[in-house]
This record gives sequence, structure tokens and C-alpha cells, in this order.
Amino acid sequence: MAQEKIEGAPMPYRPYGAEIKETRPYSPCRAACPAHTDVQAYVGLIAQGRYHEAFEVITAPNPIASVCSMICHHPCEQSCRRCTIDEPLAVRHLKRFAIEKSLDYRRARRRLVQKTKGKSVGIIGSGPSGLTAARDLADFGYSVSIYERHPVLGGMLASAIPPYRLPREMLKEDIDDVIAKGIEVKTNCEIGKDVKIDELAKQHDAVLIAIGLSLSRSLPIPGVDGPGVLLAIPFLEDVAFGRKPCVGKKVLVIGGGNVAMDVARTARRLGVKDVSMVCLESAEEMPAWKWEVDEALEESIKINHRWGPKAVRREGDKVKGLEVVKVKAVFDASGRFNPSFDNDQTSLIEADTIIITIGQMSDVSFLKDSAVSLDERGRVKWDPATQMSSAKGVFVSGEVVTGPGSAIAAVANGHRAALAIHLYCQGEAIEGKLPAQEKEKIEQMPPEVVEKIAKEPRLEIKHLAPEVRCDSMVHFEIGYDEEEALKEAGRCRGCGGGAVVDQKKCMACLTCMRICPYGAPVVTSVSEIRPEYCQACGLCAPECPAEAISMVSYDVREIRRTLPQTVGRIEPNRQEPVIAAFMCTHHVGVLGFDLPKNVRTIPVHCTSRIDVLDLLKAIEAGADAVAVVRCGDGTCKYRDVARRVDARVKRGQELLKMLGFDPGRIEILSAASGNGGNPYAAVCANFSERIKQMGLRGTK
Amino acid sequence: MIIGSQKPIEEIWEMVKDFRKVLVFGCNTCVAVCHAGGEKEAETIASLIRMRAQQEGKEMEVNHLGVMRHCEPEYFDPVMDEVKKYDLVLSTACGVGVNFLSDRTGNIPVYPGINTSFYGAVEAPGNFVELCAGCGNCILHMTGGICPIARCSKTLMNGPCGGTNNGKCEVSKDIDCAWFLIVERMKQLGTLEKLSEVIPPRNWSTSRDGGPRRVSLEHIRAYEEQEAQKAATAGGKK
Repeated sequence: MAQEKIEGAPMPYRPYGAEIKETRPYSPCRAACPAHTDVQAYVGLIAQGRYHEAFEVITAPNPIASVCSMICHHPCEQSCRRCTIDEPLAVRHLKRFAIEKSLDYRRARRRLVQKTKGKSVGIIGSGPSGLTAARDLADFGYSVSIYERHPVLGGMLASAIPPYRLPREMLKEDIDDVIAKGIEVKTNCEIGKDVKIDELAKQHDAVLIAIGLSLSRSLPIPGVDGPGVLLAIPFLEDVAFGRKPCVGKKVLVIGGGNVAMDVARTARRLGVKDVSMVCLESAEEMPAWKWEVDEALEESIKINHRWGPKAVRREGDKVKGLEVVKVKAVFDASGRFNPSFDNDQTSLIEADTIIITIGQMSDVSFLKDSAVSLDERGRVKWDPATQMSSAKGVFVSGEVVTGPGSAIAAVANGHRAALAIHLYCQGEAIEGKLPAQEKEKIEQMPPEVVEKIAKEPRLEIKHLAPEVRCDSMVHFEIGYDEEEALKEAGRCRGCGGGAVVDQKKCMACLTCMRICPYGAPVVTSVSEIRPEYCQACGLCAPECPAEAISMVSYDVREIRRTLPQTVGRIEPNRQEPVIAAFMCTHHVGVLGFDLPKNVRTIPVHCTSRIDVLDLLKAIEAGADAVAVVRCGDGTCKYRDVARRVDARVKRGQELLKMLGFDPGRIEILSAASGNGGNPYAAVCANFSERIKQMGLRGTK
Repeated sequence: MIIGSQKPIEEIWEMVKDFRKVLVFGCNTCVAVCHAGGEKEAETIASLIRMRAQQEGKEMEVNHLGVMRHCEPEYFDPVMDEVKKYDLVLSTACGVGVNFLSDRTGNIPVYPGINTSFYGAVEAPGNFVELCAGCGNCILHMTGGICPIARCSKTLMNGPCGGTNNGKCEVSKDIDCAWFLIVERMKQLGTLEKLSEVIPPRNWSTSRDGGPRRVSLEHIRAYEEQEAQKAATAGGKK
């Protein structure tokens, strides 16, 4: 993966704690993502308003992040540990929010990469897998050329995914990020026709075949050949490139997968009022994602379950309908796809247009008579351990060899191929060096922990109403605004970003075990904090007397060192007191509010993470006063935080008093959030006034 | 374990104010457990000293460091080069650690950052109680597991004094009368009659009265000395 250390590769942005994280079980969301995107890290950064850093985390392993923010099937959400509490975190929508917030940032950060390796790689196909390999190889320092048969880059993303799901400007941003690295692009270039594969292999030090599955499969049934019967991919390509496909008034889509959904929903948007689908499977068995099916039903698309296509009925040339036969079972006793039919039960589904969407295959005709061998079923022969085909230096990646899957899975395979090509170009052995796909992950939350966590429903995004969205190809999802995104990001339980013990420092004092509201630490000869229990609240770390505990993500040590800079210059002639305000980013919504300039904001993941020491250090840095700004009563997403923080503030006040300061220079401020207006600005202003009365430090 | 408590910052300031480079050196065992002198507290004290210096307009460099224990050289030896860069070490270990370290820092003084209080237990988080006086001659088997030397205000060996009052000591109503506790506990254990046995007067020479104490394990020392001898003469060295 791009995140892992590869000799000679530039290091992508790594958030605080990334090194420790790599040595520990992954959060379930991260383990589930084929590209191992560090979901917990970027969601936490969003919660703190650090959108550009979130963008860096998102894009480090994923060059098509904008695309994924629109179309990903988000296995991260399906594996989210919130599923056992209430509903999963809306990861995809948060990703979209962070990316949209980073548009100017991403454009400004595009850079040409020096071609230091003196070798070149040709990549055939510019879908998720090809683009990923292109980006990685450019980052390694190779000259990269992309060959694409379509006039635009993106593979299926550009030529088949309907625009109502993926606005093309989002895809363009992803592609521009990659191309900006100095990649040569050859569009309208079809291998086998414009240039032979063997010539390409001679021109480059290595070649990657990443052509995906571009041909639709048809059905061997009577009446299928002739007008009125279309195949999915040509139909979707026509739509994608603005050529209006010829459809009638009654469209029937054969198939129950996600492409079938795309086809049916696209047909609706071409003005066809009567769109139905027919598939072998029952509603539960259908391979399409449930949300796709639900959205299709909202759009008045009818689904005929458990019918198999038997023949296309025609009147003359014109399609009259599809004769179907009842399905007895889709899978055989051993669970394999092997449909059986009840031939006594047939029916006719009327339609004037039938679109067949039953699967895809690769167009490998250009490999005929080349050094790249095909197997008996016409598929490219390859070695998954090296990503290489039978021809030396010719590699393969993505769905052409892995079979149909998701865009993000193709990205993951693209990373592997890029690493394999790099090793090959450097004359190193590949086998055994490509990273394992499976990662150890944190277990589900034990029931005794689940019951301690407050339920907080997922913030669903809005969709355009079905009657509106079916009128055009306009993208139908309405993303989060900032307040919504911060709120949803705050629901993350921070799995994988929790507390870790430095066993060299731990002296088994039991403090963490006594403090933890979730029973995460177990102390034997040293403390061990069990990640499946840890909720990453951070309460334990500041209490550890040996400073043995740190948080993997957003530890205060991240901000402690830079506290003097955050507090900033203290003007001797200032009129307003300088207030260092540690602000909980949950609920307080530190970014949504405009605070007075004399308030120097220090966003923290939760006030639980602030140590007495941090309060003192802010005073040491010259602040006139320190505010701990937290959510109103009862709104903290963690347990026991308020009283612990009260105690720490009290201790800080006592220590200040010892130095002769007014202990009131450290205070807890709180206000009810979500009532509109700016309650935190008001409490901060009020506090400033009180400090002014006490006097500004070092002024007369 | 050894329980300590932090000294007031003014007292610390009086100790450190004339030094330019001060290291607050934490000990991460006993005194860390009682939140007096672990690495975290060392860092807090360092911050307080810096602020105090700022108030006085003094140029001082104050840093902190922590090791597992100050009472065994293997723990602090690896950082001694760093420690020796300072003009003063303010150790937040117990008195044992301060003494022990001070013997090993040459010209650099080691001052105490905390008061060493007693041998105690963690009754509850943040609550530490004295239960043993380290007298060197344990009689807990005769007193129901309750030490009259450590827990009786007068260290009485022969039962309660006239100041016992409903189970409390006359010194403070917050202090239990140790002899009341002993009697109640021995009743519970069914061993109260043991208290009627006459025992000879106690020999206090095992305690502080015998001068500074040392425990020397001959079998371990003999082995170590042999090893040292071998090393010294290895390879024909004399």
C-alpha cells in the first residue's frame, strides 16, 4: 500500500500517531477498506476542523478519493463498530465533505515529480487501477505513459458510471491530481489497433495492463439479436459521452447487480417512465447494494424477482417483451451460483426495449499473438504473487484479473502492481514483498461497553426528491454543511486511535484501571489497554503519573510543544487579555463560531485530554488566563469526563495560587450548543472581562 | 511502598533560585504511584519553577526527566551524561533516591523536590495511609496484623493509653486508635487471649536506635565478589 514504507518512495502525509498505529490492529473501518484508508484518522481530523489534513489522509492511499466519496460501496461503514450501538458512521459523506472543503488546497498542492529513475512504464487503461499505479510509479520517479482508448481518462468511471452518481468534475479533480505529477497521456489510443502490445513492451521498461472489464455479456436466448435489445456497457457509454441511446417507452433491464441498477436508473433519467427489472434472485439474494435498490424503488422502478430470461418475444422486428421462467433456486446445495427453473411456470414481461446487464468481461483481443498468454477460458494468465503476466515485464492489475469488484479494490490492486513494477525495474525479486491484503483488526465492542455508550442517530444526507432527480442526470445527493459534518464526525468512536501504554515507563500503578469508564486497561506486570474496550476518550493519559500513556490519535503532546506559538506574541501594551482556550471540538463546534481575537483557540479532541500541565504551560507561555471550553451538561459523548476535568482545573488553580496568581485565571466555560447564535463567543467575552478586572500580566 | 508529597513551590524556589540550569528529575516507581514525584509531576514542577523564575526576572533553564527508579544505579546510569549537564538536580524521588543519586553526581548537588512521608498503602485512589514503620523486628503476628509501632500515635507496645475514645485517638478524631483496632481484630480472629502472654521488652536496636541499617545477603555478595575477581584477572590481568 502507498502508506507503507517503500524504499525510495516519497512518504505521504502521516497523521500524528501513524507510526504506532501501523504496529497495532487496525480499526475495523480501516481493515475493511481494500486500500486501508485510515478512516478513523481523517474523521477525527474533520471533527477538529482540520480539513486539509483530513484530505491528505484520505488521498494518501487513494488517488480517486473524490470518486469514492460519491460512489464507494463503503465497506468501512458496514464494518463500523457503531453498528452494534445504533447506526454506522456516514463515512462516505464525511469524505465528500472534507474533499469539497479542500478544493483550492488540492489544486494548489499539485506538483511535478522529478523523474529520477531513468526508466519508463506504459500503463494500458486509466481506470482506478491504472490511475493508482500511474500515481505510485510517478511518485517513485519513473516516467509514466497512460494509454486510453476513450477520449478522456478514467476508464469505466468516465465511460460507464452514470453522471447522476458521479459528477464528472469530481473525477476530473482526481485525474488532474495524478496527471500533474508529469504523466504522459495518450487518449484515443487503442492498443492492438493504434499500437501493438509488443511494441509497447519494447518502448517501456515495464507495461501494465489495467483494462478492466469493458465488454458486456449477452444472453444465449432466442430473439436476443436484433433492434430493441441493448447491452449495458454500450448503453452507459452512450449516456456518458452524450450520445442519446435509442430506447422506447417501456424498458426492461435484465440483471440484479449494481450495474443493472445504474442502467435502470439511467433509463429513468432518459425520460422513460416505465422501467422495470427482472432478476433471478429474491430481494434478499440480489447482489445490488440495498441502498441502490431502495433508491431505485423510490424512482418507481419495478423489480421482478426470481424470474429467469427464456426468450425475447418480437412482433416483426419490434421487441414485444421477455418471456421468463420461474426460478426454483439460484444457488445449489453447496452454495454455488447454479440456478434451477420451474419450466411449467412462465410469464411474459412486456417491454419495447431490453437491456442486458448480466455481467462483464475483458476485451483481450489485442493480446492475440503476443507474448502475453491467455488461459483456456480466454483470460489473462497471471501470477498474483508478482502481478506479472506470462510475458516478462508485462504486469496486470485490476478487474481484468481480479474479476468484478469495487473501484477501491481496483485501487488496492493498482498499488500492488506499482510496487511489483518498481521492484522489477530495480532488479529485485517481487515474490513475498507485496503486502498482505488482510490486516488484523480490533474486535467488536463487548456488550458491557456497548451499553455504556449513548445512542446518537446517524445524520442522513438529503437526496433530491425522486420526481426531481429523475428529470435529469444531475447528481442527486446533497452533501453535509459544516455543522452537519462536524456533528456526524463527532459520532466516531475513534477505534484504533485510543490509548497505548509505553511498557518501559509503566510501573503498574493501577491509576488507568481505576479511571477508565469502559474497563479497558488490565494491569498485570504492566498495564495493557484493550483496544476493543477503549473508546479513545483520553481520560487516562493525563492521569498517568509516569506519563506512560499516550493516545494514538490527537494526543495532547501533538499540541503541547507548539503551545507557545499558539498562544502567540504577548503585546506589552495590549488592552485585551490573551486567553488560551482549550476547546472541545465535539459540540462546541469551535470552527463554526467566530471568537474574539484575544481568544487563542486550542482545539482538543475532548477536554478529557487536557492535563494540569497544559493549563500551566499556557500560563507559562504568557497567556493572561486559560479557559477550558466544553460542551453543556450531559452532552459529552464520553463518560466521567466533567468531574475529572473539574478536578484537574482545581489542581491547576491551586498551583497558580502557590505562584501568587489569582486562581480565577483558569476557568471552565460552558454553554449549551446547538441553540443558534454564538454562545461560546459570549462566554469567552464574559471571561475576558473578568480577567481584565484582575489585570493583565506584566502591564501596569 | 514509599509515600511522598510535593514541597510548596516557595520552598523549592528558595532551593533552586541561585542555579542557572536545573533538572527536575522524576522517579517513576513509589512516588509516581502517589502522584508526588513521577515524570509527570517532575514536568509540572519544572513548569512552576520556570514561571517563578519569570516572575523574578531570572534567566534559568529548567528541564525535566524521569527514570524508573533512583534507588538502583542501572536505572539512571544511561542518562547520567544528560544529568551532569545541569548545575542542580532537583530529584522528586524519595529521600532514598536523593541520597543515592547525590553520591553519584560528583560536583552537582541533588536537592529534594518532595517530602518523603512514610511507608504506606493506597487505601483508595488519592488516599495513602501509613501502615509500617520499618522497625526491623516485625510483631504483626502477635497484634492481629495491625502494627502498634506505626499506627499508635505513641508507639505503645502494651495496650491503649487513656486517650483512646470510642475507637479514636486523642491526637485527632481522624486517627483510629491502633489498640482498639488490634483488640477488635483479634476478637474476630479468636486470638484475643494471645494478648495476655507476657513478652520480653522489645530490642529497639533493629530500628533507628541501632544506627543506620544495612541488609547484607552474604550468599549473593560472595557470588558477586567472585565474579568481580574473575573479571579483574581475566586474560592474565592482575
